[in-house]
Amino acid sequence: MSVQVAVTVGSIVLALILGSVLLALVGVNPMEAYPSVGALMFFDQWGWQDLFLKMTPLLLTGLGVAIAAQLNLWNIGAEGQLYLGAIATTWLALEFSESLDAHFMLPILLIGTFVAGGMWAAIPAGLRSWFGVNEIITTLLLNYVAISLADYLLFGAWRDPSTLNFPMTRSFGESSYLPMIGSTTVHWGLPLGILLAVLTWILLKSTTIGFQIRVAGDNLSAADYSGFNTKNLLFIVLVLSGAVAALAGMTEVAGIHHRLQQNFSINYGYTGIIVSRLARNHPIGVIGTAFLLAVIFVGGELLQVEYQLPIAVVYLFEGLLLFTVIGSELFLSYRLRRRVAV
Amino acid sequence: MGTPLLFATLGGVLSERAGVIHLGMEGIMLVSALVTFVVDLQTGSKVLALVGAMMAAGALSGLHGFVCISLRGNQIASGLALALFGTGLSGLFGDALIGSTVTSLDRIPIPGLELIPILGSAFFNQDWMVYLSYVLVAGLWFVLFHTNWGLQIRSVGEAPIVCDALGLSVAKIRYICVIFGGMLIGLGGAYFPMVLTSFWVDDLTAGRGWIAVALVIFAFWHPGKAFWGAYLFGAAIAFQLQAQVMGLKIPSYILEMFPYLLTIVVLTVVTVRNRRAGQTFMPAALGLPFFRGDKH
Repeated sequence: MSVQVAVTVGSIVLALILGSVLLALVGVNPMEAYPSVGALMFFDQWGWQDLFLKMTPLLLTGLGVAIAAQLNLWNIGAEGQLYLGAIATTWLALEFSESLDAHFMLPILLIGTFVAGGMWAAIPAGLRSWFGVNEIITTLLLNYVAISLADYLLFGAWRDPSTLNFPMTRSFGESSYLPMIGSTTVHWGLPLGILLAVLTWILLKSTTIGFQIRVAGDNLSAADYSGFNTKNLLFIVLVLSGAVAALAGMTEVAGIHHRLQQNFSINYGYTGIIVSRLARNHPIGVIGTAFLLAVIFVGGELLQVEYQLPIAVVYLFEGLLLFTVIGSELFLSYRLRRRVAV
Repeated sequence: MGTPLLFATLGGVLSERAGVIHLGMEGIMLVSALVTFVVDLQTGSKVLALVGAMMAAGALSGLHGFVCISLRGNQIASGLALALFGTGLSGLFGDALIGSTVTSLDRIPIPGLELIPILGSAFFNQDWMVYLSYVLVAGLWFVLFHTNWGLQIRSVGEAPIVCDALGLSVAKIRYICVIFGGMLIGLGGAYFPMVLTSFWVDDLTAGRGWIAVALVIFAFWHPGKAFWGAYLFGAAIAFQLQAQVMGLKIPSYILEMFPYLLTIVVLTVVTVRNRRAGQTFMPAALGLPFFRGDKH
């Protein structure tokens, strides 16, 4: 465990160093930028609240990706699932939030979004289970379809005519707002994500289906021989994966914006892949790595404000971090091998 | 519209034939588009711009190769990292360029051939990069299937252990294919500022790199089929844009989904047909890192 932590910390530090070189190239002094960004992030009230707000969608998409990864499936469609979740939440909220109060509305949003996300993911899941179609490509391509669908609604039927040039829906009724925790601006999406991560872990550890998933994840043909219905398992796991990732769309629109608007996701879905990978697909581990990626997001935002850099700086750091993390995995396997040999 | 897809698909075919998945095409294309744009803006030389783009694409692919081949990292994860990193690089360094413009390549009709009805002007009244792509299709097909090098490349993608035992350097061949493949992908990125859009916008390639990733699969890792696949999808994208111009009664955002949905449908049909026929065209060692100490 300690080796794993050391290697992970090492790869984060390396990514920060490489990133600082690139920052220096666009005229930002990293020796100045890193400390000032760090101070704003951790010691300013706005900063740490924003950290937890950014952590929420990353935790949910990361958990979604991690669920699929239990069967060695790659869900690269969390971005689209998040958009679809936001569309489902928006439809429900616009339709019902005037007539229902929060006690009914919030469970409806939660369940409705979960189901919608699952149905969306059922497309690649079904194609993979029964036709053997590569889920990496299908989940990925569906991202573009979901984003186009959101644009179609935003520029068409759902557009609020009073917001002149910005394509967005009208604001939801207050019964569809996710409540805040205490007097902070952090909404209850974060505890929801943590709860789901723990539930996923329990499901994997101590239920029959969890056992089947673990066996099939280790060796699919062994699971086949044991008489497990692996086609159904693949289907269920990929559908669950999409359903959980879709909840990130709900927490964003019902927790923060209270309406659907264009470009509300800053690649949260794609980042979920890094969150999961960094945690080595462990459902509890994603809680920690989602926080880490939130640090990159808020850091990138602060660089945007303080140094007028484009949002692309976030993607740059994400790419670097993923590179250093994958590159470092070799060292972990070396250590394990040696120990086994001794 | 099909040409950048064709370049990128050919690059993917070369790399994957040697056993390394190139998922980061979108990032490579964006960076090479940026380099093309900048070099063209500074020097005015299209050739230098293209050389710069290929060098940048080769360097990024070398990074991917280093992680996948030398460090034996996961190829899919490394490809994603490359896609993000490339998007970040082009966004960060391209920010200052938004609004500037470069000139596009001229069309050079090929005498005689361009007069063929319908297809003549579509295929033979184009810029020189399009002709280069035709040459590359034939060249890659010849190298892969009719030379000793091609045999070595394909063997490394199918059975690296055997190649290793025969004294071939698996790592060297894979590096060469990943880097040259990346350069071809870079040509695809370069085609955007060279021909398609004369001004710089953020996210210039708009997801085409991902379509090319799928195209490699339904081209069955074959350069000739890549040609038809790329132009089929080029036509789909062109149809979508054309339908918008003609004011067809289909909303533009629904039309935007069309190339992606078509990709999924075609991929499904192809997969099902291959399964029925009991055939697999995928290189057997695709995606698997090779390590001399591993015993399988």
